[in-house]
Amino acid sequence: MSVRSNAKPVEAKPKRAEADTARKRTIVSICSVVTVLTLYTAISNSGLVNQVLIPPPQAIARTAVTLWTQENLPIDILTSLMRVLTGYAIGVTLATLLGSLMGWFWFIDGVFDPLIELIRPVPPLAYIPLMILWFGIEERPKIMVITLGCFLTCIINVITGVKNTPRLYIEAARTMGATNRDLFFTVAIPAAVPYILTGLRVALGTAWAILVAAELIAAQRGLGFMMTNARRFFRTDAIMVGIICIGLLAFSMDRGLRYVNRRLTSWMERREA
Amino acid sequence: MAAQGSPYKLECRNITHTFRGEGGQEIVALQDVSLGVYDGEFLCILGPSGCGKTTLLRIFAGLVTPDEGMVYLDGQPSMDTHPDKGMVFQLDATFPWLTVEENVKYGLKLRRLPKEEVESIASRVIHMVGLSGFEKAYPKELSGGMRKRVDIARTYACNPKVLLMDEPFGSLDLFTKTRMQAELLNLWSQARKTVVFVTHDVDEAIYLADRVVVMSKRPGRIRDIIRIDLPRPRSVDIKVSEAFGEIKRRLWTHFEEEFAGVASEAPAVAAPA
Repeated sequence: MSVRSNAKPVEAKPKRAEADTARKRTIVSICSVVTVLTLYTAISNSGLVNQVLIPPPQAIARTAVTLWTQENLPIDILTSLMRVLTGYAIGVTLATLLGSLMGWFWFIDGVFDPLIELIRPVPPLAYIPLMILWFGIEERPKIMVITLGCFLTCIINVITGVKNTPRLYIEAARTMGATNRDLFFTVAIPAAVPYILTGLRVALGTAWAILVAAELIAAQRGLGFMMTNARRFFRTDAIMVGIICIGLLAFSMDRGLRYVNRRLTSWMERREA
Repeated sequence: MAAQGSPYKLECRNITHTFRGEGGQEIVALQDVSLGVYDGEFLCILGPSGCGKTTLLRIFAGLVTPDEGMVYLDGQPSMDTHPDKGMVFQLDATFPWLTVEENVKYGLKLRRLPKEEVESIASRVIHMVGLSGFEKAYPKELSGGMRKRVDIARTYACNPKVLLMDEPFGSLDLFTKTRMQAELLNLWSQARKTVVFVTHDVDEAIYLADRVVVMSKRPGRIRDIIRIDLPRPRSVDIKVSEAFGEIKRRLWTHFEEEFAGVASEAPAVAAPA
């Protein structure tokens, strides 16, 4: 059927229109990326710029292969990934658990909110010197700082979500005999899931940001370390490889989260996916 | 059955309630309101916006604690929410993250009833409201009228002694509303409960009720209680019968005050030559 009508069929949505827009948007996005890449390649190979500072894609590609096969790129990637995943997982789990309780129980909120608000203004990276003195220069300080950053970023979304539980649902549940505990588990948390997922996504960005900086400051392996090392030898091509790796990893993790988001909140009414 | 010699299933005595506004101004929502509802009766509370009818219903439900006065269910004080006092709200209160089936089972699961019992009650009630086949659908896939049926089914599944309904059909169009009114009466005749139904729609009140309580505002109090002597079962076309019109005329006199001072259509003026 190729008719586009304005009348909304009973119980159905105009999926055709939504799919068209999505397809066009994808095409536009692809063109955008291709354009940027083409421009970069052109500028780098034009002879007008210093190729040490703006390495051409060919050199980057060659270096990537070398780093992967002959040097320690796989280990660096795994090391960075491990730090990010560990810090992130612990941080958002704590944030979800504590944030839910804080959003619902005034007492817990009263206890923890001032502590969190006092810690929040300080960028988590500033704690690295202290963490190193306490825990040494191994993995722990870096992971702890990532945990802290993810925790702070995520928790505010969780608290907001739980505190914004629509009163209508609470009242409906109460008239069906729900206790405060019932309300927390069967109404507040499910209603807050979209907010919690938002918190998970922003925390992921925080995790990568802190990781790279932490590795630039104090690490013996990892992508940030690899990039600092490369800087000393003016190996901008290696730096680019590092940036691309981080970008790809962070991008795929975010996409993964977006997919989880869509599946878990398929019940929501949306303008577009 | 009512205990302690009270003839009423649900009763409120000397309810007074005031709302304090932000600027410190006080609005007396209800002034010394006493009302009794008989077992198995369909009672409508009719009045303009702001007359306190919704507040009174919420006090019955236990969602609001009145400044003065008491609520009794079966002769016992009942000031808090309880599954014996089921409520259907004006807005769509179905939980969007649950399917139709899961919504209807919500109250039953709270009570930890055995699984087979939950299943059988749920499927029976879903059939009673005409939603068989939609058990696995999410509220977002349903029309407004269908969601309202889920609301009603969910409340009915809890088997409350009293059913409190706050302008439940207010957001529906005339045709859906009329159909829902007829279906509600049908449902009520099959599984008779004591119903308190709040509305501002005179036709709706007369069509549904055994008795209509007329309320006035500022302050909210009961002006009159009128028995509706129309025979049951009532088909929809009773709304255009003589007897119906007679009752409507009687009720209308109560609302003349509402329209006092409102300019009516000005007589036609001859166009200048």
